[in-house]
Amino acid sequence: MTSPPDNDARKVTSLRELPQSLEPPHDLWPRIEAQLTDIPDAAAGRATPARAGAMRARWLAVAAMLACVATGVWIGRSFLPGAPGSTAGPVSANNQVVPDLRTTAFDAAYVSDPRYAQQRAALVRTLQAKLAALPPPARAKVEASLATIEKAKADLEQALGRDPSNALLQELLVNTYQDEMRVLSDVHEASDPGRGI
Amino acid sequence: MRIAMRLSGALLLLLAGAAASASAEQTFDREVAVQPRGAVDISNVSGRIEVSGWERAEVSVHAELEAGVERVDVSSEGGHTSIKVLVPHAPGHGGEVRLQVKIPQESELNVSGVSADITTTGVLGVQRLNAVSGNVTAELAGADVELKTVSGNLHLKGRGQAARLRLSTVSGDVRVEHGAGDFEASTVNGTLIVSLDSARSVRVHTTSGDVRFEGRLTHGATVEASTVSGELNVHASADGGYAYEVSSFSGAISDCFNASPERASQYGPGSRLEGTRGQGAGHVRLKTMSGAVQLCDRL
Repeated sequence: MTSPPDNDARKVTSLRELPQSLEPPHDLWPRIEAQLTDIPDAAAGRATPARAGAMRARWLAVAAMLACVATGVWIGRSFLPGAPGSTAGPVSANNQVVPDLRTTAFDAAYVSDPRYAQQRAALVRTLQAKLAALPPPARAKVEASLATIEKAKADLEQALGRDPSNALLQELLVNTYQDEMRVLSDVHEASDPGRGI
Repeated sequence: MRIAMRLSGALLLLLAGAAASASAEQTFDREVAVQPRGAVDISNVSGRIEVSGWERAEVSVHAELEAGVERVDVSSEGGHTSIKVLVPHAPGHGGEVRLQVKIPQESELNVSGVSADITTTGVLGVQRLNAVSGNVTAELAGADVELKTVSGNLHLKGRGQAARLRLSTVSGDVRVEHGAGDFEASTVNGTLIVSLDSARSVRVHTTSGDVRFEGRLTHGATVEASTVSGELNVHASADGGYAYEVSSFSGAISDCFNASPERASQYGPGSRLEGTRGQGAGHVRLKTMSGAVQLCDRL
């Protein structure tokens, strides 16, 4: 038995009649910002159970986002033209320190894709030797480019820390990781005598 | 004392002779009959590579070799011609070679250099030009062109003939004049200055390099440009107009048609400019994190 129709209630006949977005009743940003500011306190053991739960949810959201970014990078590297094939190369014999391609939380997320991790690790491991094979002016410019990429990654990650769900920043970060792989691949191939890039 | 001075003089003459001998240039000339639409591969480590197209079914090679270069190999078989400058394997050895090559104008051309500058003129076939630190300058003639360097600059000059153009460099600058067709370019921190007479699709990306694009779009064309911290300056006109979408996290957005950017989110950072010019047949999407963006529908 169904209840009689409520003539006062407005019938929705099309999805277009629904509101485009539902805004929260008040500005949530100040509280979110305050919680972000409190993260060090929480890490120091002063987090309440409710706040710890919120932290967990936030980190889960960040982890999910990282997985999406990693998948995007893997797809880009696997299917875009110029993806490197076998990247196994000799380990630098001179044991020099490679440029500071630091491992970040985002890098750690990529480890979930072993192929991406293997490719990147192999390229980074041989980077110093490959750079040494370049003409000195080119080497200096490439090192400057790698530094630029590192700074871009750091800036994007910092911005994502403030706005983790920002699709624009996520896309630009994926682009930057693809740039890094492109540079590493180009350096690898450019220093291979007789092969060119 | 006089004997010592004479000995010193003789020694100096000997050293000068040896130095002159070491820097002496040799020349190499060779012509081979080839297929008019074959492929020509050229490689040279250091110096210059100048390629021009001509109407004869022959490849002509003129090389000026500095000391330390082993030889120039030229071979042709089954529509494939190869020109290689061979240098000793030890790093730091081998002088420069200036290669001047004439090829049938409809040949497919593949050039690879390390620190050699590459220049092409009058080649109507597909061109793939790669260098590490050398600069690449190519003349566009309607066939697809792919230019790639690590630190060298890229310069492409066309006459409005449509083609697929792909340019990529790590730290070099990119400059394109009178290109047309499908265009794709990327650089990390170089500057991108692109002028297209007629563009079907445009995709450009930099990390920190500035982009200045100026071009006329065909009906329904797409333009996508993104950068992390560089500036995007896009002047694109189209007969059918275009829908535009400009997104920025912290960079300023401006335009020449008095539209105002809005906040991307009511409570979060970021701004967005969206709208339509003309009939909205094409699409223009510009994205940046912190660089300034300027969009204009007039050239």
